[in-house]
Amino acid sequence: MGLLKTLSILASGHGGYRTLGSNRSVSSGQNNEARAKLILRHTVMSRDHLTPEIGLRLITPECVLWRAREEESPFKDPFWAIYWPGGQVLTRFILDNPDLFRGDALLDVGSGCGAAAIAAARVGASSVIANDIDPNAISAIMLNAAMNNVNVVVESGNLIGQVNNKWKTIVLGDMFYDAAFRDVMIDWLTMQCREFKSNVFIGDPGRLPLIEHPIKSHLRKVGQYVLPKRCREENNGMTEGFVWQLNVKYT
Amino acid sequence: MSGLRILVGCKRVIDYAVKVRVRPDKLGVVTEGVKHSMNPFDEIAVEEAVRLKEKKLASEIIVASCGPQQNQETLRTALAMGADKAIHVLVEDKDYSNLQPIHVSKLLAKIAAEEKVDIVLLGKQAIDDDCNQTGQMLAAILDWPQGTFASKVVKKDGSLDVTREVDGGLETINIKLPAVITTDLRLNEPRYATLPNIMKAKKKPLTTKKPSDYGVEIKSSHQVLSVEDPPTREAGQKVESVDLLVAKLKEAGFMKS
Repeated sequence: MGLLKTLSILASGHGGYRTLGSNRSVSSGQNNEARAKLILRHTVMSRDHLTPEIGLRLITPECVLWRAREEESPFKDPFWAIYWPGGQVLTRFILDNPDLFRGDALLDVGSGCGAAAIAAARVGASSVIANDIDPNAISAIMLNAAMNNVNVVVESGNLIGQVNNKWKTIVLGDMFYDAAFRDVMIDWLTMQCREFKSNVFIGDPGRLPLIEHPIKSHLRKVGQYVLPKRCREENNGMTEGFVWQLNVKYT
Repeated sequence: MSGLRILVGCKRVIDYAVKVRVRPDKLGVVTEGVKHSMNPFDEIAVEEAVRLKEKKLASEIIVASCGPQQNQETLRTALAMGADKAIHVLVEDKDYSNLQPIHVSKLLAKIAAEEKVDIVLLGKQAIDDDCNQTGQMLAAILDWPQGTFASKVVKKDGSLDVTREVDGGLETINIKLPAVITTDLRLNEPRYATLPNIMKAKKKPLTTKKPSDYGVEIKSSHQVLSVEDPPTREAGQKVESVDLLVAKLKEAGFMKS
Protein backbone atom coordinates (compact mmCIF):
# COMPACT_ATOMS: atom_id res chain seq x y z
CA MET A 1 0.00 0.00 0.00
CA GLY A 2 1.12 3.50 -0.77
CA LEU A 3 1.56 4.57 2.79
CA LEU A 4 4.11 1.86 3.47
CA LYS A 5 6.08 2.94 0.47
CA THR A 6 6.05 6.54 1.55
CA LEU A 7 7.11 5.48 5.00
CA SER A 8 10.13 3.70 3.61
CA ILE A 9 11.01 6.86 1.70
CA LEU A 10 10.71 8.71 4.95
CA ALA A 11 12.89 6.23 6.80
CA SER A 12 15.58 6.55 4.17
CA GLY A 13 15.71 10.25 4.89
CA HIS A 14 14.36 11.66 1.67
CA GLY A 15 11.92 14.49 1.44
CA GLY A 16 12.33 18.16 2.25
CA TYR A 17 15.40 20.13 1.27
CA ARG A 18 14.54 20.18 -2.39
CA THR A 19 13.88 22.83 -4.89
CA LEU A 20 10.29 23.60 -5.73
CA GLY A 21 10.66 21.55 -8.90
CA SER A 22 7.39 20.36 -10.33
CA ASN A 23 4.85 22.87 -9.23
CA ARG A 24 1.79 20.75 -9.65
CA SER A 25 -1.21 21.80 -7.74
CA VAL A 26 -3.04 19.16 -5.82
CA SER A 27 -6.74 18.83 -6.31
CA SER A 28 -8.96 16.74 -4.13
CA GLY A 29 -9.39 14.39 -7.07
CA GLN A 30 -5.81 13.18 -6.81
CA ASN A 31 -5.33 10.16 -4.68
CA ASN A 32 -3.83 10.11 -1.27
CA GLU A 33 -0.62 8.54 -2.47
CA ALA A 34 0.19 11.46 -4.78
CA ARG A 35 -0.62 13.94 -2.05
CA ALA A 36 1.54 12.07 0.45
CA LYS A 37 4.47 12.12 -1.99
CA LEU A 38 4.16 15.85 -2.44
CA ILE A 39 3.93 16.37 1.32
CA LEU A 40 7.07 14.31 1.84
CA ARG A 41 8.88 16.32 -0.80
CA HIS A 42 8.02 19.73 0.59
CA THR A 43 8.09 19.19 4.35
CA VAL A 44 10.53 17.86 6.92
CA MET A 45 9.93 15.83 10.06
CA SER A 46 10.16 18.19 12.99
CA ARG A 47 10.42 17.65 16.74
CA ASP A 48 11.37 21.27 17.48
CA HIS A 49 8.15 22.10 19.30
CA LEU A 50 6.33 21.62 22.58
CA THR A 51 5.68 17.89 22.00
CA PRO A 52 9.01 16.48 20.78
CA GLU A 53 7.81 12.93 21.45
CA ILE A 54 5.58 13.36 18.41
CA GLY A 55 7.35 13.85 15.08
CA LEU A 56 5.38 15.84 12.52
CA ARG A 57 5.85 16.67 8.83
CA LEU A 58 5.93 20.47 8.77
CA ILE A 59 7.15 23.38 6.65
CA THR A 60 10.13 24.62 8.67
CA PRO A 61 12.93 27.16 8.01
CA GLU A 62 14.88 24.27 6.42
CA CYS A 63 12.26 23.91 3.67
CA VAL A 64 12.31 25.82 0.40
CA LEU A 65 8.64 26.65 0.89
CA TRP A 66 9.39 28.51 4.12
CA ARG A 67 10.50 31.55 2.18
CA ALA A 68 8.30 30.94 -0.84
CA ARG A 69 5.55 33.22 -1.98
CA GLU A 70 2.05 31.93 -1.67
CA GLU A 71 1.66 31.38 -5.40
CA GLU A 72 4.79 29.18 -5.39
CA SER A 73 3.26 26.69 -3.00
CA PRO A 74 1.95 23.50 -4.59
CA PHE A 75 -0.57 23.28 -1.75
CA LYS A 76 -3.51 25.58 -1.40
CA ASP A 77 -3.59 26.95 2.15
CA PRO A 78 -1.27 24.41 3.82
CA PHE A 79 -2.52 25.11 7.34
CA TRP A 80 -1.70 21.48 8.16
CA ALA A 81 2.00 22.20 7.59
CA ILE A 82 2.13 24.58 10.53
CA TYR A 83 2.10 23.44 14.15
CA TRP A 84 -0.05 26.21 15.58
CA PRO A 85 0.69 27.45 19.10
CA GLY A 86 -2.82 26.55 20.28
CA GLY A 87 -2.36 23.06 18.84
CA GLN A 88 1.00 22.69 20.57
CA VAL A 89 -0.33 23.47 24.04
CA LEU A 90 -3.44 21.31 23.52
CA THR A 91 -1.29 18.36 22.45
CA ARG A 92 1.09 18.89 25.39
CA PHE A 93 -1.92 18.94 27.71
CA ILE A 94 -3.26 15.65 26.31
CA LEU A 95 0.14 13.97 26.71
CA ASP A 96 0.48 15.32 30.26
CA ASN A 97 -3.03 14.30 31.35
CA PRO A 98 -3.68 10.80 29.98
CA ASP A 99 -6.37 10.09 32.62
CA LEU A 100 -8.65 12.71 31.08
CA PHE A 101 -8.62 10.96 27.70
CA ARG A 102 -7.95 7.27 28.27
CA GLY A 103 -10.76 4.97 27.15
CA ASP A 104 -12.91 7.68 25.63
CA ALA A 105 -13.97 8.42 22.06
CA LEU A 106 -12.40 11.66 20.93
CA LEU A 107 -12.94 14.07 18.06
CA ASP A 108 -10.17 16.48 16.99
CA VAL A 109 -11.78 19.27 14.95
CA GLY A 110 -9.67 21.22 12.47
CA SER A 111 -7.02 18.60 13.06
CA GLY A 112 -4.42 20.09 10.68
CA CYS A 113 -1.23 18.10 11.14
CA GLY A 114 -3.11 15.72 13.46
CA ALA A 115 -0.92 16.29 16.52
CA ALA A 116 -3.73 16.39 19.09
CA ALA A 117 -5.39 13.31 17.61
CA ILE A 118 -2.07 11.44 17.63
CA ALA A 119 -1.51 12.44 21.27
CA ALA A 120 -4.99 11.20 22.22
CA ALA A 121 -4.35 7.88 20.51
CA ARG A 122 -1.00 7.62 22.31
CA VAL A 123 -2.52 8.11 25.75
CA GLY A 124 -5.15 5.46 25.11
CA ALA A 125 -8.32 7.12 23.83
CA SER A 126 -10.64 4.31 22.72
CA SER A 127 -11.18 5.82 19.29
CA VAL A 128 -9.90 8.96 17.69
CA ILE A 129 -11.37 10.88 14.75
CA ALA A 130 -9.15 13.52 13.15
CA ASN A 131 -11.39 15.86 11.22
CA ASP A 132 -10.18 18.34 8.62
CA ILE A 133 -11.86 19.48 5.42
CA ASP A 134 -8.57 19.85 3.50
CA PRO A 135 -7.63 16.63 1.64
CA ASN A 136 -3.95 17.51 2.03
CA ALA A 137 -4.43 17.71 5.78
CA ILE A 138 -6.03 14.26 5.69
CA SER A 139 -2.98 12.89 3.87
CA ALA A 140 -0.64 14.66 6.30
CA ILE A 141 -2.52 13.27 9.30
CA MET A 142 -2.28 9.75 7.87
CA LEU A 143 1.46 10.17 7.32
CA ASN A 144 2.01 11.62 10.78
CA ALA A 145 -0.12 9.00 12.52
CA ALA A 146 1.74 6.16 10.79
CA MET A 147 5.07 7.77 11.60
CA ASN A 148 4.08 7.83 15.28
CA ASN A 149 2.69 4.28 15.20
CA VAL A 150 -0.87 5.15 16.21
CA ASN A 151 -4.28 4.62 14.65
CA VAL A 152 -6.52 7.55 14.01
CA VAL A 153 -9.58 7.63 11.80
CA VAL A 154 -9.57 10.51 9.35
CA GLU A 155 -12.76 12.33 8.36
CA SER A 156 -12.81 15.03 5.71
CA GLY A 157 -16.49 15.97 5.93
CA ASN A 158 -17.36 19.13 7.83
CA LEU A 159 -18.45 17.95 11.27
CA ILE A 160 -18.81 21.41 12.76
CA GLY A 161 -22.45 21.85 13.68
CA GLN A 162 -23.23 18.14 13.89
CA VAL A 163 -24.43 17.23 17.34
CA ASN A 164 -23.45 13.70 18.11
CA ASN A 165 -23.44 11.57 21.24
CA LYS A 166 -20.56 9.44 19.99
CA TRP A 167 -17.95 12.00 21.00
CA LYS A 168 -17.16 11.90 24.68
CA THR A 169 -14.39 14.40 24.17
CA ILE A 170 -13.93 17.15 21.58
CA VAL A 171 -10.61 18.95 21.26
CA LEU A 172 -9.72 22.00 19.16
CA GLY A 173 -6.39 23.73 18.75
CA ASP A 174 -6.18 27.35 17.65
CA MET A 175 -9.55 27.75 15.98
CA PHE A 176 -10.60 31.13 17.34
CA TYR A 177 -9.46 33.62 14.77
CA ASP A 178 -12.34 35.65 13.59
CA ALA A 179 -15.55 36.55 15.29
CA ALA A 180 -17.92 34.93 12.77
CA PHE A 181 -16.27 31.53 12.87
CA ARG A 182 -15.88 31.76 16.63
CA ASP A 183 -19.63 32.25 17.05
CA VAL A 184 -20.43 29.19 14.91
CA MET A 185 -17.96 27.13 16.92
CA ILE A 186 -19.16 28.30 20.29
CA ASP A 187 -22.83 27.67 19.48
CA TRP A 188 -22.00 24.17 18.36
CA LEU A 189 -19.70 23.32 21.26
CA THR A 190 -22.16 24.68 23.80
CA MET A 191 -24.89 22.53 22.28
CA GLN A 192 -22.67 19.46 22.29
CA CYS A 193 -21.84 20.14 25.94
CA ARG A 194 -25.45 20.62 26.97
CA GLU A 195 -26.93 17.72 25.01
CA PHE A 196 -24.33 15.07 25.59
CA LYS A 197 -22.12 16.41 28.36
CA SER A 198 -19.13 16.21 26.07
CA ASN A 199 -15.79 17.30 27.46
CA VAL A 200 -14.54 20.18 25.32
CA PHE A 201 -10.88 21.21 25.48
CA ILE A 202 -9.60 24.27 23.63
CA GLY A 203 -5.94 25.12 23.04
CA ASP A 204 -5.41 28.83 22.37
CA PRO A 205 -2.48 31.25 22.62
CA GLY A 206 -4.61 34.21 23.71
CA ARG A 207 -6.28 35.17 20.46
CA LEU A 208 -8.52 38.16 20.92
CA PRO A 209 -11.77 36.70 19.49
CA LEU A 210 -11.73 34.11 22.28
CA ILE A 211 -10.53 36.43 25.04
CA GLU A 212 -13.15 39.04 24.19
CA HIS A 213 -16.14 36.69 23.97
CA PRO A 214 -18.57 36.27 26.90
CA ILE A 215 -17.94 32.53 26.64
CA LYS A 216 -14.70 33.28 28.48
CA SER A 217 -16.65 33.18 31.74
CA HIS A 218 -17.59 29.57 30.95
CA LEU A 219 -14.03 28.53 30.26
CA ARG A 220 -11.95 26.97 32.99
CA LYS A 221 -8.21 27.18 32.57
CA VAL A 222 -6.83 23.66 32.90
CA GLY A 223 -3.40 24.16 31.37
CA GLN A 224 -0.86 26.89 30.76
CA TYR A 225 2.43 26.53 28.95
CA VAL A 226 5.31 28.75 27.89
CA LEU A 227 5.70 28.41 24.14
CA PRO A 228 9.07 27.06 22.97
CA LYS A 229 11.58 29.47 21.45
CA ARG A 230 10.94 28.68 17.82
CA CYS A 231 7.20 28.89 18.26
CA ARG A 232 7.55 32.28 19.96
CA GLU A 233 9.72 33.57 17.14
CA GLU A 234 7.23 32.41 14.54
CA ASN A 235 4.22 33.86 16.30
CA ASN A 236 5.21 37.42 16.91
CA GLY A 237 4.08 38.59 20.28
CA MET A 238 2.78 35.28 21.62
CA THR A 239 4.70 33.77 24.51
CA GLU A 240 2.22 31.48 26.23
CA GLY A 241 -0.58 29.11 25.40
CA PHE A 242 -3.59 28.05 27.42
CA VAL A 243 -5.87 25.06 27.52
CA TRP A 244 -9.46 25.80 28.43
CA GLN A 245 -12.25 23.44 29.30
CA LEU A 246 -15.74 24.52 28.32
CA ASN A 247 -17.87 24.49 31.40
CA VAL A 248 -21.52 25.15 30.56
CA LYS A 249 -24.35 24.52 32.97
CA TYR A 250 -26.34 21.53 31.82
CA THR A 251 -29.97 22.50 31.59
CA MET B 1 -4.35 42.70 28.65
CA SER B 2 -3.72 46.34 29.26
CA GLY B 3 -1.00 47.08 26.71
CA LEU B 4 -1.06 49.80 24.11
CA ARG B 5 -3.32 49.67 21.11
CA ILE B 6 -1.47 50.64 17.95
CA LEU B 7 -2.82 51.68 14.57
CA VAL B 8 -0.43 51.42 11.63
CA GLY B 9 -1.10 52.98 8.24
CA CYS B 10 0.02 50.92 5.24
CA LYS B 11 0.10 52.41 1.77
CA ARG B 12 0.32 50.31 -1.36
CA VAL B 13 2.85 51.84 -3.73
CA ILE B 14 4.78 50.89 -6.84
CA ASP B 15 7.56 48.60 -5.71
CA TYR B 16 10.80 50.44 -4.95
CA ALA B 17 12.71 48.30 -7.45
CA VAL B 18 10.43 49.11 -10.40
CA LYS B 19 11.49 51.71 -12.93
CA VAL B 20 8.62 54.17 -12.96
CA ARG B 21 7.29 55.40 -16.32
CA VAL B 22 5.31 58.56 -16.94
CA ARG B 23 1.92 58.09 -18.61
CA PRO B 24 1.59 59.39 -22.19
CA ASP B 25 -0.92 62.06 -21.00
CA LYS B 26 1.75 63.33 -18.56
CA LEU B 27 -0.76 63.49 -15.71
CA GLY B 28 0.55 60.53 -13.75
CA VAL B 29 2.66 57.39 -13.90
CA VAL B 30 1.87 53.97 -15.36
CA THR B 31 0.47 51.72 -12.64
CA GLU B 32 -1.25 48.97 -14.65
CA GLY B 33 0.65 45.70 -14.68
CA VAL B 34 3.36 47.16 -12.44
CA LYS B 35 4.53 45.36 -9.30
CA HIS B 36 3.26 47.02 -6.13
CA SER B 37 4.21 46.44 -2.51
CA MET B 38 3.93 48.07 0.88
CA ASN B 39 5.54 51.48 1.21
CA PRO B 40 8.95 50.65 2.78
CA PHE B 41 8.55 53.28 5.52
CA ASP B 42 5.19 51.75 6.44
CA GLU B 43 6.85 48.33 6.65
CA ILE B 44 9.18 49.86 9.21
CA ALA B 45 6.13 51.16 11.09
CA VAL B 46 4.53 47.69 11.12
CA GLU B 47 7.81 46.17 12.30
CA GLU B 48 8.08 48.68 15.15
CA ALA B 49 4.53 47.92 16.26
CA VAL B 50 5.21 44.17 16.20
CA ARG B 51 8.37 44.68 18.27
CA LEU B 52 6.37 46.63 20.84
CA LYS B 53 3.94 43.73 20.94
CA GLU B 54 6.75 41.23 21.35
CA LYS B 55 7.99 43.24 24.31
CA LYS B 56 4.45 42.99 25.75
CA LEU B 57 4.10 46.77 25.60
CA ALA B 58 1.37 46.57 22.96
CA SER B 59 -1.70 44.37 23.12
CA GLU B 60 -3.23 44.81 19.69
CA ILE B 61 -2.00 46.03 16.32
CA ILE B 62 -4.56 47.28 13.83
CA VAL B 63 -3.39 48.00 10.28
CA ALA B 64 -5.32 50.20 7.88
CA SER B 65 -4.99 50.98 4.20
CA CYS B 66 -7.00 53.29 1.96
CA GLY B 67 -7.26 52.43 -1.72
CA PRO B 68 -8.51 49.93 -4.29
CA GLN B 69 -9.23 46.22 -3.79
CA GLN B 70 -5.55 45.28 -4.22
CA ASN B 71 -4.68 47.11 -1.00
CA GLN B 72 -5.90 43.99 0.76
CA GLU B 73 -2.69 42.28 -0.38
CA THR B 74 -0.73 44.99 1.39
CA LEU B 75 -2.80 44.48 4.52
CA ARG B 76 -2.28 40.71 4.36
CA THR B 77 1.46 41.34 4.28
CA ALA B 78 1.16 43.48 7.40
CA LEU B 79 -0.90 40.75 9.08
CA ALA B 80 1.75 38.20 8.09
CA MET B 81 4.37 40.39 9.76
CA GLY B 82 2.39 40.19 13.00
CA ALA B 83 -0.49 42.68 13.01
CA ASP B 84 -3.71 41.40 14.56
CA LYS B 85 -6.44 42.81 12.39
CA ALA B 86 -6.87 44.95 9.32
CA ILE B 87 -9.23 47.64 8.11
CA HIS B 88 -9.43 48.27 4.39
CA VAL B 89 -11.02 51.57 3.41
CA LEU B 90 -12.08 50.76 -0.13
CA VAL B 91 -11.55 53.73 -2.42
CA GLU B 92 -12.87 53.03 -5.92
CA ASP B 93 -10.44 53.38 -8.82
CA LYS B 94 -12.20 56.49 -10.10
CA ASP B 95 -11.73 58.26 -6.77
CA TYR B 96 -8.27 56.93 -6.05
CA SER B 97 -6.46 59.53 -8.15
CA ASN B 98 -8.09 62.20 -5.99
CA LEU B 99 -7.11 60.57 -2.72
CA GLN B 100 -4.62 62.80 -0.96
CA PRO B 101 -2.90 62.87 2.43
CA ILE B 102 -5.65 65.11 3.84
CA HIS B 103 -8.27 62.43 3.14
CA VAL B 104 -6.09 59.62 4.45
CA SER B 105 -5.36 61.53 7.64
CA LYS B 106 -9.09 62.22 8.16
CA LEU B 107 -9.88 58.54 7.65
CA LEU B 108 -7.07 57.42 9.96
CA ALA B 109 -8.24 59.90 12.60
CA LYS B 110 -11.70 58.32 12.58
CA ILE B 111 -10.26 54.81 12.77
CA ALA B 112 -7.90 55.85 15.58
CA ALA B 113 -10.85 57.19 17.57
CA GLU B 114 -13.10 54.21 16.86
CA GLU B 115 -10.42 51.71 17.78
CA LYS B 116 -9.36 53.72 20.83
CA VAL B 117 -5.69 53.48 19.93
CA ASP B 118 -2.82 54.94 21.93
CA ILE B 119 -0.30 55.24 19.12
CA VAL B 120 -0.61 55.75 15.39
CA LEU B 121 2.53 54.64 13.57
CA LEU B 122 3.05 55.74 9.98
CA GLY B 123 5.86 55.87 7.49
CA LYS B 124 7.37 59.35 7.31
CA GLN B 125 6.36 59.51 3.66
CA ALA B 126 5.33 57.28 0.78
CA ILE B 127 7.94 56.58 -1.85
CA ASP B 128 5.52 57.30 -4.70
CA ASP B 129 4.32 60.86 -4.00
CA ASP B 130 6.92 61.83 -1.35
CA CYS B 131 4.26 63.98 0.32
CA ASN B 132 5.38 63.65 3.95
CA GLN B 133 2.06 65.09 5.13
CA THR B 134 -0.22 62.36 6.46
CA GLY B 135 1.38 61.90 9.88
CA GLN B 136 1.59 65.60 10.57
CA MET B 137 -1.97 66.33 9.46
CA LEU B 138 -3.25 63.36 11.44
CA ALA B 139 -1.59 64.68 14.60
CA ALA B 140 -3.23 68.05 13.96
CA ILE B 141 -6.70 66.56 13.39
CA LEU B 142 -6.46 64.39 16.51
CA ASP B 143 -4.75 67.19 18.45
CA TRP B 144 -2.13 64.66 19.58
CA PRO B 145 1.61 65.24 19.94
CA GLN B 146 3.80 63.89 17.16
CA GLY B 147 7.26 62.41 16.84
CA THR B 148 8.28 62.53 13.19
CA PHE B 149 11.29 60.91 11.46
CA ALA B 150 11.73 58.53 14.38
CA SER B 151 14.88 56.44 14.49
CA LYS B 152 14.27 55.16 18.02
CA VAL B 153 11.13 54.82 20.14
CA VAL B 154 11.29 54.02 23.85
CA LYS B 155 8.18 53.54 25.94
CA LYS B 156 8.06 55.43 29.24
CA ASP B 157 5.26 55.58 31.75
CA GLY B 158 2.41 57.24 29.83
CA SER B 159 4.77 58.74 27.27
CA LEU B 160 7.33 57.92 24.63
CA ASP B 161 10.94 59.00 24.13
CA VAL B 162 11.33 59.51 20.41
CA THR B 163 14.72 60.01 18.82
CA ARG B 164 14.34 62.02 15.62
CA GLU B 165 16.63 62.28 12.65
CA VAL B 166 17.19 65.98 12.18
CA ASP B 167 19.67 67.94 10.10
CA GLY B 168 23.15 67.24 11.38
CA GLY B 169 22.22 64.82 14.14
CA LEU B 170 19.62 63.36 16.44
CA GLU B 171 17.04 65.00 18.63
CA THR B 172 15.32 63.10 21.43
CA ILE B 173 11.95 64.33 22.59
CA ASN B 174 9.42 63.06 25.09
CA ILE B 175 5.79 63.05 24.01
CA LYS B 176 2.69 62.15 25.97
CA LEU B 177 0.38 59.39 24.83
CA PRO B 178 -1.74 59.20 22.75
CA ALA B 179 0.64 60.22 19.98
CA VAL B 180 1.47 59.98 16.29
CA ILE B 181 4.86 58.60 15.27
CA THR B 182 6.31 58.63 11.77
CA THR B 183 9.19 56.32 11.00
CA ASP B 184 12.55 57.04 9.41
CA LEU B 185 14.72 54.54 7.60
CA ARG B 186 16.98 53.64 10.51
CA LEU B 187 14.28 52.79 13.06
CA ASN B 188 14.51 49.04 12.36
CA GLU B 189 14.88 46.41 9.68
CA PRO B 190 11.50 44.87 8.84
CA ARG B 191 11.14 41.12 9.04
CA TYR B 192 10.37 38.84 6.14
CA ALA B 193 6.87 37.37 5.97
CA THR B 194 7.38 33.60 5.83
CA LEU B 195 4.90 31.32 4.09
CA PRO B 196 3.56 29.92 7.38
CA ASN B 197 2.94 33.46 8.58
CA ILE B 198 1.30 34.38 5.28
CA MET B 199 -0.97 31.39 5.86
CA LYS B 200 -1.72 32.42 9.42
CA ALA B 201 -2.49 35.93 8.23
CA LYS B 202 -5.31 34.55 6.10
CA LYS B 203 -7.16 33.65 9.26
CA LYS B 204 -6.89 37.10 10.75
CA PRO B 205 -9.85 39.47 10.43
CA LEU B 206 -9.93 42.02 7.62
CA THR B 207 -12.85 44.45 7.52
CA THR B 208 -13.76 46.52 4.48
CA LYS B 209 -15.19 50.02 4.90
CA LYS B 210 -16.01 52.93 2.62
CA PRO B 211 -14.83 56.53 3.06
CA SER B 212 -18.49 57.50 3.52
CA ASP B 213 -18.68 55.17 6.55
CA TYR B 214 -16.32 57.65 8.18
CA GLY B 215 -18.02 60.71 6.70
CA VAL B 216 -15.03 61.56 4.53
CA GLU B 217 -15.55 62.86 1.01
CA ILE B 218 -12.73 62.22 -1.48
CA LYS B 219 -12.52 65.52 -3.30
CA SER B 220 -9.24 66.80 -4.59
CA SER B 221 -8.09 70.21 -3.44
CA HIS B 222 -5.52 70.49 -6.16
CA GLN B 223 -5.12 69.63 -9.80
CA VAL B 224 -2.13 67.88 -11.32
CA LEU B 225 -0.83 70.04 -14.15
CA SER B 226 1.96 67.81 -15.39
CA VAL B 227 4.21 64.93 -14.45
CA GLU B 228 7.63 64.87 -16.09
CA ASP B 229 10.44 62.35 -16.25
CA PRO B 230 13.67 63.47 -14.65
CA PRO B 231 16.05 64.84 -17.31
CA THR B 232 17.85 61.98 -19.00
CA ARG B 233 21.60 61.88 -18.54
CA GLU B 234 23.53 62.17 -21.73
CA ALA B 235 26.08 59.55 -22.54
CA GLY B 236 29.59 60.33 -21.28
CA GLN B 237 32.90 59.54 -22.92
CA LYS B 238 35.92 57.64 -21.72
CA VAL B 239 39.33 59.29 -21.70
CA GLU B 240 42.58 57.39 -21.88
CA SER B 241 44.75 59.44 -19.53
CA VAL B 242 44.69 62.19 -16.91
CA ASP B 243 46.33 64.58 -19.39
CA LEU B 244 43.57 63.96 -21.85
CA LEU B 245 40.97 64.52 -19.11
CA VAL B 246 42.55 67.84 -18.15
CA ALA B 247 42.66 68.87 -21.79
CA LYS B 248 39.00 68.03 -22.24
CA LEU B 249 38.03 69.93 -19.08
CA LYS B 250 39.93 72.98 -20.28
CA GLU B 251 38.32 72.69 -23.65
CA ALA B 252 34.87 72.64 -22.06
CA GLY B 253 35.74 75.68 -19.98
CA PHE B 254 35.70 73.86 -16.59
CA MET B 255 39.36 74.69 -15.93
CA LYS B 256 41.51 77.71 -16.63
CA SER B 257 43.86 77.09 -19.52
